[in-house]
Amino acid sequence: MSSSTSSKEDLKALAFREIDARADEIIGMAQSILKNPEPGFRETKTSRLVGEKFAALGVPFRTGLALTGVRGELVGGTPGPTLAVLGELDSLIVNQHPHADAATGAAHACGHHCQVAMMLGATMGLMQPEVLSGLSGRLVMMAVPAEEYIEIEYRDGLRRDGKIEFLGGKPELIKLGEFDDVDLAMMLHTTSNPQEKQLCISGTNNGTVAKKIQFLGKGAHAGGSPHLGINALNAATLAISAIHYNRETFRDEDTIRVHPIITKGGEAVSAVPADIRMETFVRGRTLEAITDADKKVDRALRAGAMAVGAQVKIQTIPGYLPLIQDSAMAQVFEQNAESLVGLENVGHTDHRTGSTDMGDVSQLMPAIHPYVGGATGLGHGADYVVQDYKLAVITAAKALASTAVDLLADGAAKGGEIVGGHRPNMTRAEYLDLMRGLAKEETFGDE
Amino acid sequence: MLNVAELKQKACGTIEAHRDELTGIAKEILANPEVGFSETKTARLVADRFSQMGIQHQQGLALTGVKGRISGGAGQGPRLAILGELDSLVVQEHPFVQGDTGAAHACGHNCQIGMMLGATMGLLTPEVLDQLSGEIIPFAVPAEEFIEVERRLQLREEGQLELLGGKQELIRLGEFDDVDLAMMCHTASDMGDRKFAVGGTSNGHVVKYVEFTGRGAHAGGAPHLGINALNAASFALQAIHANRETHLADDTVRIHGIITRGGEAVSAVPSDVRLEWRVRSASPEAVVKNSAVVDRCFRAGALAVGASVSITNIPGYLPMRHDSKIQELFRENATNLLGESSILVMPPRRNRGGSTDMGDLSQMLPVCHPYTGGAEGPGHSKEYIINDYEQAVINPAKIMAMVAIDLLAEGGAKGNEVVKTHRPAMRKAAYLKFQRERAEVVQFNGSSD
Repeated sequence: MSSSTSSKEDLKALAFREIDARADEIIGMAQSILKNPEPGFRETKTSRLVGEKFAALGVPFRTGLALTGVRGELVGGTPGPTLAVLGELDSLIVNQHPHADAATGAAHACGHHCQVAMMLGATMGLMQPEVLSGLSGRLVMMAVPAEEYIEIEYRDGLRRDGKIEFLGGKPELIKLGEFDDVDLAMMLHTTSNPQEKQLCISGTNNGTVAKKIQFLGKGAHAGGSPHLGINALNAATLAISAIHYNRETFRDEDTIRVHPIITKGGEAVSAVPADIRMETFVRGRTLEAITDADKKVDRALRAGAMAVGAQVKIQTIPGYLPLIQDSAMAQVFEQNAESLVGLENVGHTDHRTGSTDMGDVSQLMPAIHPYVGGATGLGHGADYVVQDYKLAVITAAKALASTAVDLLADGAAKGGEIVGGHRPNMTRAEYLDLMRGLAKEETFGDE
Repeated sequence: MLNVAELKQKACGTIEAHRDELTGIAKEILANPEVGFSETKTARLVADRFSQMGIQHQQGLALTGVKGRISGGAGQGPRLAILGELDSLVVQEHPFVQGDTGAAHACGHNCQIGMMLGATMGLLTPEVLDQLSGEIIPFAVPAEEFIEVERRLQLREEGQLELLGGKQELIRLGEFDDVDLAMMCHTASDMGDRKFAVGGTSNGHVVKYVEFTGRGAHAGGAPHLGINALNAASFALQAIHANRETHLADDTVRIHGIITRGGEAVSAVPSDVRLEWRVRSASPEAVVKNSAVVDRCFRAGALAVGASVSITNIPGYLPMRHDSKIQELFRENATNLLGESSILVMPPRRNRGGSTDMGDLSQMLPVCHPYTGGAEGPGHSKEYIINDYEQAVINPAKIMAMVAIDLLAEGGAKGNEVVKTHRPAMRKAAYLKFQRERAEVVQFNGSSD
């Protein structure tokens, strides 16, 4: 047995040597993506960069998956399970970010640029012939679109045009069958939270539904004849207050997050606002908690409309499902993290209240979504920047590569054991039914 | 035979002779304030006075009203009621508050009883009464202030009342069926250097008793199991404010209220929250419209948190219509007594914002409800006190006596003319129908479960 352990370590060392040798190139890719930020489902340049890199490496790949996804594939020396290593293509929109695109406001304020680079770095390490031949099964190296659930209006337009069904990248890829042949999945996200240290084993994440809301009132001269108007902005602000009045009923353990924005707040200050648009998420730790909070949010939105005699149209759009971390995979990752950065530099988190579509993947198969340090500032804020590229990209690539080796080497003993012992929460068909069942549209109020 | 001017002089002379007695009555009532439909001591005081003055009277009308009846010596003619309101407010911090009940005369009704008795004394002067036609009906009426809604609803429940305002109930009981003309005079503190004001109008209103029902739960341990009725009420109030921009200025909309029960204990999610609310507007139509908006806001409050709400709508008062002929007599007599520079004539559309059940009476009878000075401080507040009893009691007693003489002397010619030319806005049957239609209970369950 000792020979097989040393052989795993040999494979890791070979992979690490390649990653170290190409460190500048890998970091360069991250920085190149940083300078060319693109929001979800619009990541054409970033997607092309990945495709070109796969081509240069000689990795067979397909492009245009869920509009911009790129999927490369490496086949091990013997058959075995399929492990997907994901990197997210998309940026956020943060106008004030130092690396924001002046024209679009797009900016990598969540470190996804590092994810694509680390995925490619891991590819370089794992595709070394001595490494790959020692692995059983396949590696799917996937650049995935649109993890950030933003620009709902734009994406809903894509949906209505039939270009996508779901508004997040991984749900759409699941629907398209791109995860049908995947048995295990992992990715590694940057973090700026010092408590999460250099590499962090994480727990669960909130799931979410998204809502597009329109309050319809009646326009009128705001000075001359406000009595003839119905103020849709008052309906909206009251609805937001009504949401607040329900917050005390949200249980701590459900970690409900409801955080609306107003995307259209009136046409002209001299007119009674007649058409107000809002977007919100309703996040929670479990589907039941999300459903309960969502019901309260709907009621609050109706109350806002009723209060001033306006009408409200509520569109509920399936978002992301809660993330379940596979503990056995996490354990494998943790051991590699400890050897890479030392025990004292490995952090642990229990539950994070943001949402990711890796949650959707985790409902279907064993998955992990740990974190790597190197960033500072607040996630999604203008000050979120990656400071330590060596950690955020190179160490990260090694952590992914070494975890892949542990899962697929030795005839994929570990990977096979995890896949065999895992009971997914749902099948793809059940997943699609659930997601489609969350979608609803409602009109409430006069006229 | 005395001419009208001489009759007035005689009547005013009698009032003048009783000035200390009359201001004493006002001060005695000030010291013994009683809220509407509970004015037993005040009613007894009026009845005792009527007895001393030899006036036949009935008591216990609409629980506490006292109605006298005096026939003029000159034969048939119009029947003129001179009203005085018996009731006080509840203003805990008023300097003349009644300790147990919080009752206080913060609106000067104590002076009204004094001036009503004073005017009656003047008209009872034998040479004067001999020359008046028709009848004089001095009438002490209960419960003008529309307060303590929960208690009055209880009285209604017990069958003691149907309408919750004094004059409303007296109209229903037929106590104005034998009245042709009515007048009274209210103290005011907002007339600047003027001493007497005629004209203007007042708001109509509807009264609401609102009960939000949620679900109690430990506010720290299990707020997720509760439904917060106080949040429902708070949201409803916000919603009411958000609608204010839609009120027409001409409607002089006033929407206001109090929370009479705001929760049982700070450690429990409030499950039973109650409010008394008031929607006032310049016309009955606007009252109906704005009342519906406020009901919608209360429903929205229940919907916002999944509570339920019960809104008991109670018919309130109607806007004031002054009879222009009586008003002109008030203006003339007040001018003669106080000088032209002391008189304020408000345009008909000048709405004082408040409401009075004299408005209800004004829908069917020719009435006038002018204001006299003598008070200071905001009405209904702890600062409202009478600082000039001469102006608050004696002068309005004289003015009302003189207006009565104008109406009833000379065969009651002027009074008859007023009665003949008056066009009521609604008659008693239509009035009762309108008010009974306002009385409804709106129930709404905002829970989607």
